[in-house]
Amino acid sequence: MGPLSRETWAQRLGAFRASPSAFMAGPEGEDLGRDLLNELRSEKLSEQTKVSLLALSLEYPAQLWPDAAAAEAAATSLLDTLVLLPPRPSALRRPLLLAATTALAAGDALGPTSGASRRLLPLLLGLASGRDLGRGFGPASEQRPLQATACECLRELESCKPGLLGGCLGLLRSLLGQEGPVQPLSLLLALALRNTLVIQARARAGLQGLLVAGDMPAAGGPWNWTLAEEADAHLQPQAPSWPAAEEEECGLAVLEPSPEEARELRAAVAQLLDTSYLLTPVAQAQLLWLLGWALRGLRGQPPVLFKPQLVRLLGTAQLTLLHAVLALKAAFGEALFTAQDEALLLRRLTLAAQHPALPLPAHLFYLHCLLNFPENCPLGPTGEETAPLLLGPRLCRGLLPSLLHDPSALLAHLHLLCLLCAEDEEKEEKGQDWCPRHYLGELLAGLRQRAALHGGPRALATLCFQASYLVVHCLATQPTVLTPLTHGLARLYRARPALAPHFVDLLDRVGPELGEPLRTALRQEVVSRPGRDEALRWHLQILSKVADGKAPSATLGFLRAAAAHCTDWGLQQALLQVCRALLRAGVGEGLADLLQALARQLEDPDGRDRARLYYILLAHLAGPKLGVALGPSLAAPALTSSLVAENQGFAAVLMVQEAPAPMRLSVGPRRAAGPVPVLQLQVEVLEPLYSVELRFRVEGQLYAPLGAVHVPCLLPGRPCRPLHLPLQPRRPAPAQLAVRALFATPAGLTCHAHLPPLPVNFADLFLPFPRAPDGDKQGFFEELWDSCLPEGAESRLWCPLGPQGLEALVARHLDPFVVVAQPPTSYHVAIRLPPASRLLLRLEAAQGDGVPVALRTDDWAVLPLAGDYLRGLSAAV
Amino acid sequence: MIYACVPLVEQTLSPRPPLISISGISQSFELLFGIQDFLHLGQKNDTELNTKLNQLPDLLLQACPFGTLLDANLQNSLDSINFASVTHPQKQPAWKVGTYKGKPQVSISITEKVKSMQYDKQDIADTWQVVGAVTCKCDLEGIMPNVTISLSLPTNGSPLQDILVHPCVTSLDSAILTSSSIDAMDDSAFSGPYKFPFTPPLESFNLCYYTSQVPVPPILGFYQMKEEEIQVKITVNLKLHESVKNNFEFCEARIPFYNRGPITHVEYKVSFGQLEVFREKSLLIWIIGQKFPKSMEISLSGTVTFGAKSHEKQPFDEICIGGTAYLKLHFKILDYTLTGCYADQHSVQVFASGKPKINTHRKLISSDYYIWNSKAPAPITYGSLLLSLSSWTLWPFKKR
Repeated sequence: MGPLSRETWAQRLGAFRASPSAFMAGPEGEDLGRDLLNELRSEKLSEQTKVSLLALSLEYPAQLWPDAAAAEAAATSLLDTLVLLPPRPSALRRPLLLAATTALAAGDALGPTSGASRRLLPLLLGLASGRDLGRGFGPASEQRPLQATACECLRELESCKPGLLGGCLGLLRSLLGQEGPVQPLSLLLALALRNTLVIQARARAGLQGLLVAGDMPAAGGPWNWTLAEEADAHLQPQAPSWPAAEEEECGLAVLEPSPEEARELRAAVAQLLDTSYLLTPVAQAQLLWLLGWALRGLRGQPPVLFKPQLVRLLGTAQLTLLHAVLALKAAFGEALFTAQDEALLLRRLTLAAQHPALPLPAHLFYLHCLLNFPENCPLGPTGEETAPLLLGPRLCRGLLPSLLHDPSALLAHLHLLCLLCAEDEEKEEKGQDWCPRHYLGELLAGLRQRAALHGGPRALATLCFQASYLVVHCLATQPTVLTPLTHGLARLYRARPALAPHFVDLLDRVGPELGEPLRTALRQEVVSRPGRDEALRWHLQILSKVADGKAPSATLGFLRAAAAHCTDWGLQQALLQVCRALLRAGVGEGLADLLQALARQLEDPDGRDRARLYYILLAHLAGPKLGVALGPSLAAPALTSSLVAENQGFAAVLMVQEAPAPMRLSVGPRRAAGPVPVLQLQVEVLEPLYSVELRFRVEGQLYAPLGAVHVPCLLPGRPCRPLHLPLQPRRPAPAQLAVRALFATPAGLTCHAHLPPLPVNFADLFLPFPRAPDGDKQGFFEELWDSCLPEGAESRLWCPLGPQGLEALVARHLDPFVVVAQPPTSYHVAIRLPPASRLLLRLEAAQGDGVPVALRTDDWAVLPLAGDYLRGLSAAV
Repeated sequence: MIYACVPLVEQTLSPRPPLISISGISQSFELLFGIQDFLHLGQKNDTELNTKLNQLPDLLLQACPFGTLLDANLQNSLDSINFASVTHPQKQPAWKVGTYKGKPQVSISITEKVKSMQYDKQDIADTWQVVGAVTCKCDLEGIMPNVTISLSLPTNGSPLQDILVHPCVTSLDSAILTSSSIDAMDDSAFSGPYKFPFTPPLESFNLCYYTSQVPVPPILGFYQMKEEEIQVKITVNLKLHESVKNNFEFCEARIPFYNRGPITHVEYKVSFGQLEVFREKSLLIWIIGQKFPKSMEISLSGTVTFGAKSHEKQPFDEICIGGTAYLKLHFKILDYTLTGCYADQHSVQVFASGKPKINTHRKLISSDYYIWNSKAPAPITYGSLLLSLSSWTLWPFKKR
């Protein structure tokens, strides 16, 4: 692309600034960075246009050079442009330095392998030290501003790579001692010093003469990256703050400078502080924050170094300087501020927080500082806002809120007043009229009076409720405050019921300390005035929020009276909303009558339907279920039908819903006793279930229909005793049971789930014969044996024995049914198979791997089952 | 216009760190105050504002090239762009761009604002306070000329309190630091001279601010207003204290009527001055002029009738509900301070080449000077309650 005109650039830059990311994603995006760099060398563009191009690269380096390679190339190009400038005054040198620095810093390209870094760093250091760099670097008149800019650039690079200038501390000190520009050099030295201290402390190394180390790196010689590499990955915060600095503190304590080093360090710090009055207030503040927190806890660096600055700064009107003094206070505490100094500082802060010559934002910030004042001996837990111990009501006099304040100021001052009231709790009994609590009451009354103004702006009401909330938040435990507040709010409601939405919001937000009494007060306020009222809509809104089980007859009386005036749909819905609240609260008596009346009397069919629905629900659902069914508050009813909206809410609750199986059912050990076979079921659940009903269905009608099993409650992790499921076989055959579970979840939903089918095995049906007479077991068995034929069937088969042998096999599987036993070789077994079959086994003359079994049954259909059973025994464990 | 600044906070924000622990907060405040001053000080019209707004991006690059604020005084940054070619052989403060060349002169101007809340009630004490600002412009040659200005009080002057100084002030007497309105006043209060040694910046600056509790308000008055259906009856009485210089640049009492309809009819009687009626604004202005009469006491009484209220136009006020109403005094007295505070030309010490010409100015202006209707409730401050209960003696010539 050829050179662009000034107008084209203006257009292009306009489009870019409007949406940088969109522009970069568009067709022109790719070329913008390259064009910009080329245009800087164009002779057609004015310097001013070029400066604006550079300004763009300072603002959006990440968009223009998105990766390290692009940033490196850009920085190189910018440096080339700088070198090629003719040796006359130019407005481009300074922005070019800034742009090259920004490209490297923002593109993360700064490092020993970057060619641009290797060129830029010595150049900056050379400029910063005021050396003559030859013709290309402009006339002498430009040297001084360039020197300052070079320092700024170095400071930026040092903050990106802490330790970068660790080797130049001595040089910087000597420059500061000469005639360098004080502010940029001071800030640069302070930052480099702080970073060096932190890095050396981390590495557990001393200062190693870094403070005096000499001259600048030889021109063209390699830059010393050692410290910066040690510090890698430990970016120091550029803008210090207390907690961040506190973490470093333990690191610094390990730094044990030699007496020599400590003296040098002290001298460097003193040098910086002595000339600090030459810095702008904001820069002075940065310096004090940086040095204060860097030297905190460091040996041989008495905080008293800062004393002369304090004396100079305590009278200041400058916000940032007073803030810096507070930072020093927080850093050094008693070591720098005696109790007297602390009291003086607190007084200065207090007067600054109310000084009529300072603007409101400053007042508010100072007020915040007062509540977080770093006391020498704090009493309360840290991190909590409290009025400092020394700040009594007397000192605070001018800081208390007044109705004349701006809303934000009023709330901030009110916070302080609340804290004073909280402290004042013990001293209350004196009966002084003007105690803070009394004043608080007056103030709140004033706010309510303004909020009660009909047609007054919403902001006044909002402020009143914000203030009430704040008071409850701070003084929740003080009935002497809350009681009048509750009554005052109830009176405010009486005066201006249109504030109902604010009340609802307040009730949603405050805890029970105010919430409970306020609900009661509002309910009484509303129900004590039945009858036609313009504010009926608001009354109903309030009632739907505050109606509970208490004093239902008054509420119902109010609703009955109100029903006659609820002529439009909206009012009827509001009325029913209150009924809903009463339903939820479990009010039954009287409500049914009201609902029935409403179902007949309301004009709107939708309202009648809804009333009828509530009536039906009330009549058919038990209390808890009703509560759940109406659980989540109804969304604003759709204009068409409240019933539809309501249904969306609780149709789910009233219907049985399909759910994934929340339990596992298995068949436990057999019981083989009693008149019918009984399955012992074991249940495990994954979540609490209530009112569980298990329903079973036999496939193929092999058994008589099975009864359901009920369990009131199943909890995970808590073993449940086995459930008994009696079987009534129509034929002695194994079967599958289909299982369904119905249950209620803790959320109150009723669900049903299909469980995996449950197998009933042949052996599950076995029952023993009633006991044979003691003497003649053999005779009893033979009698059974003989009775099977001729209708029945006989068979012989080979039952393989596992390693356990016959005796163990019998003991394990057949023990309850053995009639005659001659261990270990011979067993006669008689099994009753309901409804009316028998299976008789003779297991005799066992051999090593099996036993011949003679079996008879009176039901030939049993034979194959018995065969399978016996052959499977050895495999069954 | 909304000013906003986002400070860099390099730490976890949960739990939220208190603002006091973040250095960027006050830096941001300074930047915003700086921008505000730059845009609005001495601004005459919208064109000028637009010019300044257009300069703002370049100035911000100059004032915080890498996002760290170097100077909140944007005018300085602007000047330093223009001064770029000047060389300075000596150490130069960062807050002083360039040097002054020309006739040496120092001008000191003391502006006192007096505010007051008067209730004319038994149980609520009237309050008043003086807030002073001393503005200097030092045109002196040399890089770091030293100047000391002393503020003095006459023998019966009211001590200066709550003194806040400009950062260029190099040291402060501890008596100045500790004299504050927070503490109970006694006769031992430091009453000057108040010495401020400093090295001035080039531009005009506020050397210090102070407050003072003078024993009496310059003008004491009462305002009685009674509502009678669509009209109100008002009575106003004002009395200038004998100690106050009776030579105003202007003096007027504004009597607004809020939350009412437009004024339809006024019947009045004034003992002095003229009354102007602004019907649509529901406002009366009583122009008192340059002097109070010999008796020092003037009065106004009358009946004001209002038309129907139309919400859009009529002034609304959230405090002036029902009978709650005020009148507000606006006045200015040149070459006078209520505290008596003055900067003596001979006490100004300048350590610089050449003997400078020294100009001093003084003026007193009213600010938030309210007299509330004594026949209805009025907003009060904690101070009013406290004072009235600690048996503060009402000054003798107070009229009921």
